[in-house]
Amino acid sequence: MTPIPTISTERLTLRAPEQRDFPGFAAFFASERSKFVGGPVPAEQSWRMLAVELGHWQLRGYGRWAVEETATGRFAGIIGLWNPEGWPEPEIGWDLMDGFEGKGYATEAARAARDYAYDVLGWPTAISLVAPGNDGSRRVAQRLGATQDGLFTHERFGTLEIWRHPAPSELSDGGMEAYA
Amino acid sequence: MIDLQIPTLTTDRLILRAPEARDFEGVATFFADAERSWGFGGPLSRNEAWRWFASMIGHWVLHGYGFWMVDTREGEPVGFVGIWSPEGWPEPELGWVVYQGAEGKGYAREAAEEIRRYAYAVLGFETLSSNIIPGNARSVALAERMGAQYERSFENVTHGTEMVYRHPGPDDLAEGAA
Repeated sequence: MTPIPTISTERLTLRAPEQRDFPGFAAFFASERSKFVGGPVPAEQSWRMLAVELGHWQLRGYGRWAVEETATGRFAGIIGLWNPEGWPEPEIGWDLMDGFEGKGYATEAARAARDYAYDVLGWPTAISLVAPGNDGSRRVAQRLGATQDGLFTHERFGTLEIWRHPAPSELSDGGMEAYA
Repeated sequence: MIDLQIPTLTTDRLILRAPEARDFEGVATFFADAERSWGFGGPLSRNEAWRWFASMIGHWVLHGYGFWMVDTREGEPVGFVGIWSPEGWPEPELGWVVYQGAEGKGYAREAAEEIRRYAYAVLGFETLSSNIIPGNARSVALAERMGAQYERSFENVTHGTEMVYRHPGPDDLAEGAA
């Protein structure tokens, strides 16, 4: 199994997803808040989605982290690098669990994930897919400096906006050292 | 860090090993074939088959057991066989998929019996069942050849009505071997 690295940011810890994250994960994917990212779905389906998160690491060598609020140890989201079969190109994705919105956590974790993609994996570019109407997610993309770059239509998720992140060379002072 | 160790098991003719990225094409081909995959939640698009395959690997992380990829000793892919217990399943089940061209040789039984033995001897399982969709006569025949007996039917959260076939337990098998 690909070892899943742990990354620390100012307020968050990005670590491997585990079974103990399932209650929060299932609650989010059972709620209306998940309507832009494939939900709502029953627990039987969200358990398989959590399993997909882990298998993605093995199949791609990267994936999404479970994001923990470092001060409390609470599971706050699933954020990271996502490229399942049929995706237009590797993306940076963020799903914040219920109760963790409005704190800038998605931006903080996604920035760390982007740094990892650029500095460790050597990605030359990165996108994020945002469902039309998902204003919260669009704001995160904008805060990260991404700009809209066309549309992508997925067989199950429908039409999604492609947001293109600044390239590694366009990011100043955004490297891993910012989180050292 | 994930501590995932999938043991390699061997039988007379087969090698049971951890799933790898190169196994995806075989899995996708299986799930694209409605005739073969209808008893296993198929057919699935290529994209959905990839997610299923990823979830099969994640199942190992979450449970410590799952499906092994099965090859002949010559390295020909045969299918996948293992123990499956996603959320909503009534109990862990012994399941098998044999690819087109590999049926009729007793490979599924050979792999499933080895995994049943492993589940009892190493994982400490005290019982095992197999869930079979009514009409899947080949799977019923295999379950019966392995000594499993029809126990009851139930509503599977994702597959609809399924029949539970109960395998002989560890003690039954030990007696049978004596």
